[in-house]
Amino acid sequence: MMEEEEGAEEQQRFSYQQRLKAAVHYTVGCLCEEVASDKEMQFSKQTIAAISEVTFQQCENFAKDLEMFARHAKRSTINTEDVKLLARRSNSLLKYITEKNEDIAQFNLERKAKKKKKLEDENKNSVEPAEAGVVESEN
Amino acid sequence: MEEIGAGFRKELVSKLLHLHFKDDKTKVSGDALQLMAELLKIFVVEAAIRSVRQAQAEDLAQVGVEQLEKVLPQLLLDF
Repeated sequence: MMEEEEGAEEQQRFSYQQRLKAAVHYTVGCLCEEVASDKEMQFSKQTIAAISEVTFQQCENFAKDLEMFARHAKRSTINTEDVKLLARRSNSLLKYITEKNEDIAQFNLERKAKKKKKLEDENKNSVEPAEAGVVESEN
Repeated sequence: MEEIGAGFRKELVSKLLHLHFKDDKTKVSGDALQLMAELLKIFVVEAAIRSVRQAQAEDLAQVGVEQLEKVLPQLLLDF
C-alpha cells in the first residue's frame, strides 16, 4: 500500500512539473518571438524547446543557491540581496540586475505612495487594508 | 534590443523556485520574485540573442539547436 501511495505522489509531482514546464515553454516562446522579429531571424521549434528545458533546469540551481544564501544569512525569507548574489558571475549581468532592483524598489515605493494617498483621499474613517498574500519585501 | 514586452509572471517564478526548496519554511520576498523574473527573462533573451549571433556568423537562415549548443557553455558560465 505504501508503494502505491508513493507511486501516486510521484505521478502528481511529475504532472505538476510538466505543467510548470509548459508555462515556462510559453513564456520562452514569447520572448524568442520578440528576439526573432527584432533580429529578423527565425528559431526552430526544437531550439525554443531546448532553451525552455535549459531555463527550467537552471531554476533548480537558482532555487537551491537562493535558499542557501538566505540560510547562510540566518534568514528564512529570500530577499533581493540573495538574488544579486546569484548574478555575481558576470559584471554586466550584476550591473543590470542591480539597476533593475533599484527600478523595482523605486516603482514599488511610488506605487505605495499613490495607494496611500488614494486611501487617505477616499476614506475619512480609514479601515486597515487587507494584508497581501505575497510576503512583504524586507528591503 | 530595448524594450522586451513578455516576461515571467511572479506566480510562475514563485512556483518554479518552491519546487526545489529543501526547507518548507523558505519564503521569497515580493521584490526578490520580481527581480528573479527579470533574471530569468535575461537568461532566456541572452540564450536567444547569442544563438542568433551564432547563426548569423554561420550564415544561416534559421537558428537551430546546434547554434544553441555552441553558445550554451559560455551562457551557463555567465550565470
